[in-house]
Amino acid sequence: MDIMTKLDILADAAKYDVSCSSSGVGRNNSGGTGNCRSFGICHAWSSDGRCISLLKILLSNDCIYDCQYCVNRRSNDIPRASFFPRELAELTIQFYRRNYIEGLFLSAAVEKSPDYTMEKIIRVLTLLREEYEFQGYIHVKVIPGADPLLIYRAGLLADRMSVNIEQPTEGSLRLLAPQKSLSVIYLSMKELTDKIQEHKADRRHFRHTPRFVPGGQSTQMIVGASQDSDLAILHTAQALYEKFRLKRVYFSAYVPVNKDSNLPAVNTAPPLLREHRLYQSDWLLRFYHFKAEEIVDSTHANLETEIDPKTAWALRHPEFFPLEVNRASYEELLRVPGIGTKSAWRIVSQRRVAAISVEQLKKMGVVFKRAQYFVTCKGVYAGNKPYDPAIIRKVMVPEAPLQQMSLF
Amino acid sequence: MDYLYDGSFDGLLTCIYHHYYGAAASSIYQQDYYQPGLMVNTKVVETDPALAKRVYIAIEEKISGDALEKTYHVYLSSDSNKENLILNYLRLGFKMGAKVDHYHSHPDVYSLHKLNRRVGIETHRLLGLLRFKDTGRFLYAAMSPDHHILTLIADHFADRLAGERWIIHDQKRKLAIVYVGQDDSKMKPIQDKWYLTDFAYLMEDDIADKDQHWQQLWQLYFQKIGIESRLNPRLQSQFVPQRYRRHLLEFQYTSGTRKVP
Repeated sequence: MDIMTKLDILADAAKYDVSCSSSGVGRNNSGGTGNCRSFGICHAWSSDGRCISLLKILLSNDCIYDCQYCVNRRSNDIPRASFFPRELAELTIQFYRRNYIEGLFLSAAVEKSPDYTMEKIIRVLTLLREEYEFQGYIHVKVIPGADPLLIYRAGLLADRMSVNIEQPTEGSLRLLAPQKSLSVIYLSMKELTDKIQEHKADRRHFRHTPRFVPGGQSTQMIVGASQDSDLAILHTAQALYEKFRLKRVYFSAYVPVNKDSNLPAVNTAPPLLREHRLYQSDWLLRFYHFKAEEIVDSTHANLETEIDPKTAWALRHPEFFPLEVNRASYEELLRVPGIGTKSAWRIVSQRRVAAISVEQLKKMGVVFKRAQYFVTCKGVYAGNKPYDPAIIRKVMVPEAPLQQMSLF
Repeated sequence: MDYLYDGSFDGLLTCIYHHYYGAAASSIYQQDYYQPGLMVNTKVVETDPALAKRVYIAIEEKISGDALEKTYHVYLSSDSNKENLILNYLRLGFKMGAKVDHYHSHPDVYSLHKLNRRVGIETHRLLGLLRFKDTGRFLYAAMSPDHHILTLIADHFADRLAGERWIIHDQKRKLAIVYVGQDDSKMKPIQDKWYLTDFAYLMEDDIADKDQHWQQLWQLYFQKIGIESRLNPRLQSQFVPQRYRRHLLEFQYTSGTRKVP
């Protein structure tokens, strides 16, 4: 099988993986090829608008598992292929020196056994790092259930590692992926977290301690394949950030690829809006000091689709607003819909030299369309409608377009 | 009085010097593009590196290093009014000191910050959206950016591709960065091995045979990685505006010049 055919099959099989970030690691070239920039660099954007930063590819799509949501499940009759380690290393280097990519995101179907697959992954990484002296970014998928020693060896070569949790609850994972279990996945995550902490602590005292997964750990959840609510998803995400110190939790709107009684029908559209709202909530958790309990609770178990989660929170808490931008703290400003981390920072920084008027607020990068209803500037209410959650909601939610009534 | 300068950064800083120690400048323009008005006095400012250096140090010490960097980046932009934005910004800066960058909504600060951001965005963009071809002797990349960002991206590639020899060509400005590399690949990379030079030669067809193979693989990969049921060309256009696509290999097949297998 030539490399063109292999790339065709294995890139196609890898495209449902979400993560593609190349951030979090800064490293200069010390006599090989490549470096890393902590801000991350995107190199291209594909037809679905997602960025291409890393060469996202499977080492093999020949899987022993039979997970119902997965394109590569054992019982699917599709062409199978595997790269030779050297083939893939060469491809990575040739793409990298032409500046097509920022590095490699290597994942693999479970071929023969988790250990066998993990060992093959390590061979690719060793080739790249030692023979080709590649110093670009490498993201490796951990094969759950592989020997901890193998995972540790891969971690010494990689920049970021991820174990995919796939479903937010044990019940739905059992139903859709009977050969996987959350406890095994959590165990792998825990081991990674502990090792990362250990190496970090050691590096403070000993300069020669090697770096271990310097870009941290991430994971991915499939949204819309099971019946789980946004409440379950966000609580799981929050727990992952707090307990395992994950860098990112990715959500992937389920694209129906298989037919099964437990899954949505094959012609169902992927729940893109829901995925978008979940990412907005994820940002609230990570950068806006929100707690999952504030975004969703048992009475609002799912996120509203018409308005973003921050506006929804603001409308449920009228007692908090309107805020005086010249007095509110940075944390309070972050709660205002339409004010982001950058504009909040600008507001706080300008207040040291001059007070902010309504006109000036518009020049701070604030989305005034939303922020106007929730702030006062020098005591003047900025909105063009009275401060009443019901009225504001009506202005913000676009009315459904009128439709001609059916004749029958 | 309108000041006219030769287009160099030193020339611009010399103008700033004369604004404070000679007749005050109402505006500063590049000599080559200046359209004389009826009622305006003009003065052609001769570039003086010694005076420029004094202004350079003054900006760094009396305002901030950050302000100096912003000034330089805005100077590299292609905005026709950039000299006056810089003049106004520095005038306010010498009055306020480092605090000037806090005054986000002040018109002079706001417009300079905005232009600075445009240059920054494009610099970052081209770290990713640059494509090298292997000519067999060296790597070659062409681009036509809005702003003169060649020197801002050179260090990044000099570090990343330290063991290669390469040319990055700004076709719009007919300039190029040439990196001659190092003799021994085991040597530590030397950062200052690139230089900026005039470059008018078009190297479109000068490609090694083997390069075709990797180009085809990249085009295939690019096509395969998109998910059909999430197709979103509008989002794609936001990230990769049309004006950059001329130099991007992966968008070439749509114009019919190259076929994807």
